[in-house]
Amino acid sequence: MATEPADVLIIGAGATGGVVALRLAEAGFRVVCLEQGDWHDRSEYRGAELDWELTMRKQWATSPNVRDQPQDYPIDETDGEISPLMYSAVGGSMLIFAGAWPRMLPSDFRVRSLDGIADDWPLTYEELRPYYERTDRQFGVSGMGGDPAYPQGGEDPPLPPLPLGAGGLKVARAHTKLGWHWWPEPNSILSVEYDGRHPCVQRGTCQQGCGEGAKASTDLTHWPKAIGLGARLVTGARVRRLETNDAGLVTGAIWRDREGAEHFESARVVILAANAIGTARLLLLSTSASHPDGLANSSGLVGKRLMMHPFANVGGLFDEDLESWQGQFGCSIESFEFYETDERRGFVRGAKWGLAPTFGPINAALPSRAGSLVWGPEHHLHVRAHLGRGANWGLFGEDLPDEANQVVLSPTLTDSSGIPAPELHYRVSENSRRLLDFHIEKASQSLLEAGAYKVEVDQLMRYSGWHLLGTARMGDDPKTSVVDRWNRSHDVPNLYVADGSCFVTSGGVNPTSSIAALALRAADHMVETRFNQQVPV
Amino acid sequence: MSGPGGTVGRTAPGVAPDPLDTLDAARRAAFTAVAGHLIPAAHGMPSAADVVGDTRLRFVLRARPDLVEPLRAALRVELGDDPAERLLTLERDEPDHHAALVLAVVGGYYTDADVRERLNYPGQEAKTLYSWKVPDFIEEGLTDPVLARGPIWRDPATGRRAARP
Repeated sequence: MATEPADVLIIGAGATGGVVALRLAEAGFRVVCLEQGDWHDRSEYRGAELDWELTMRKQWATSPNVRDQPQDYPIDETDGEISPLMYSAVGGSMLIFAGAWPRMLPSDFRVRSLDGIADDWPLTYEELRPYYERTDRQFGVSGMGGDPAYPQGGEDPPLPPLPLGAGGLKVARAHTKLGWHWWPEPNSILSVEYDGRHPCVQRGTCQQGCGEGAKASTDLTHWPKAIGLGARLVTGARVRRLETNDAGLVTGAIWRDREGAEHFESARVVILAANAIGTARLLLLSTSASHPDGLANSSGLVGKRLMMHPFANVGGLFDEDLESWQGQFGCSIESFEFYETDERRGFVRGAKWGLAPTFGPINAALPSRAGSLVWGPEHHLHVRAHLGRGANWGLFGEDLPDEANQVVLSPTLTDSSGIPAPELHYRVSENSRRLLDFHIEKASQSLLEAGAYKVEVDQLMRYSGWHLLGTARMGDDPKTSVVDRWNRSHDVPNLYVADGSCFVTSGGVNPTSSIAALALRAADHMVETRFNQQVPV
Repeated sequence: MSGPGGTVGRTAPGVAPDPLDTLDAARRAAFTAVAGHLIPAAHGMPSAADVVGDTRLRFVLRARPDLVEPLRAALRVELGDDPAERLLTLERDEPDHHAALVLAVVGGYYTDADVRERLNYPGQEAKTLYSWKVPDFIEEGLTDPVLARGPIWRDPATGRRAARP
């Protein structure tokens, strides 16, 4: 245990924890990170094992409530239409994310100005672009430049695109016939050797940990480097609350180890990187006489405006064997054809589509996405029709902010350390429902044009809350936002929120590349302003 | 030791317990009946009643020890001899037990080497990428019309589709 306060204490060793730790360690900051999970060895991942489709439904499930591991905290989601998904470990939820790495689009930062709803961000796409490029290099992004869905200029993805696969090729041809946009999906999955890591082997099991280390996660891409520069990463460390002094500055964190012993880690600056549920939970836990509604919460917005991207899955079945159990998961191709607002459709904003693999035979028999159960003699025909013969469009719709969608503290549920668990209140909006209905119809058209003889739809997947956003929004006005444009708390000048909590609006794309770019931008600013940073005496 | 649902096997110190010891003969018979009902022999494929024997069921329960207790509950003798009735009752009244039973059958069946071979499913294989090759979609010119349309993003400065550079 260090006796000197850390220059920076980071809570959470996932995507943003790793990004800020490396940047600050490079700049000479003394960095400490508290992570409630542990390191995983790649040999623990089950993708190459016979039990893959069994363990993905429990030990490697994406929902902490399903996994029910000691390092997870439970979430009361009784009042939620979508289940939040996450993973507690070094590398965080990147261990189980798909690896899709699209950027937000310019219009995503100007929703109020363009569509008269929600809010504008206090920054633009162009301001964020250099950070996208830097994080693309850090994580090793495979893709292809020139996508006309984005402004041109700047750097292309550093690595060549991953294969489209037979299904991706069929759908790309269909979009060519339809005159619709498609493009190879950028993925933070290596197409060639890079930075000491092996390329993808197309096993199709990205969401249960990448055994090859081809999919980026900060336990591979950032933490070893940060630790090499002197950062100290403490695992099995569950933070209970942040402490503040009379001057209103945060002084450190109280945390419990695996045996339940309590510790205090003092720091000059604290950065929360615990995702939009964990960060909101911790701020709400950190009450005091001077901030009875939680830390950094003078706006009353901590925990509110939770966005999770309502998700629909549209699967096409084809006559021929596409070996669609293989490939990056991750996506092969994407489409932004219907991304931008067209009010004639009866809703605002849009959705990005990503085409993904279809799992193995157990999933063909017991689908976790669109599909049905068939038993008796016809079961065999059903499985043959589904195994390797599908192409799945995943549709992420923009989720507009709503203060009623929120994280609060449960009055009854606790984690294994006795700390109050988060309680979720989340309803899918009418705009989202109309948006998904429209996109399902169009995605079905895409697959039928590609030659599918049947389309199966999962209208609103419950276990689809991969994207946790918005519970400590960014903004210029302290009355209507929690952090400023540099991710710093308006109320507590030495407290930062680096994760997806800071999102003003959700966009309609997988957000990790944007979350990482924003975190790097915040860390750069911390380095640039380090001599003006207010810290506890 | 024994409980109301039957005998649970004893294990020598240091030896991993056999999860099959948690299922008495009546439960095993009920499991086989359910397996054959859900996945009978047909269309060139064997019955799950024949495939999911000791080896496969042991494999499933070792991979998923959390299934042991719900499986025991789903296979209790009180639910009768008719597998269809058992499944209906469980699905209606005890969905977690129903899900465990179905997953044990399906998991055992589709991890069997002969079944996978008949399906031409080799498992999740490692394949070598040849990223230095020009991709098929480029050779085929599939991105050409996408590029020919020009930008499709909405320019915040104008609110309209971006102009061609």
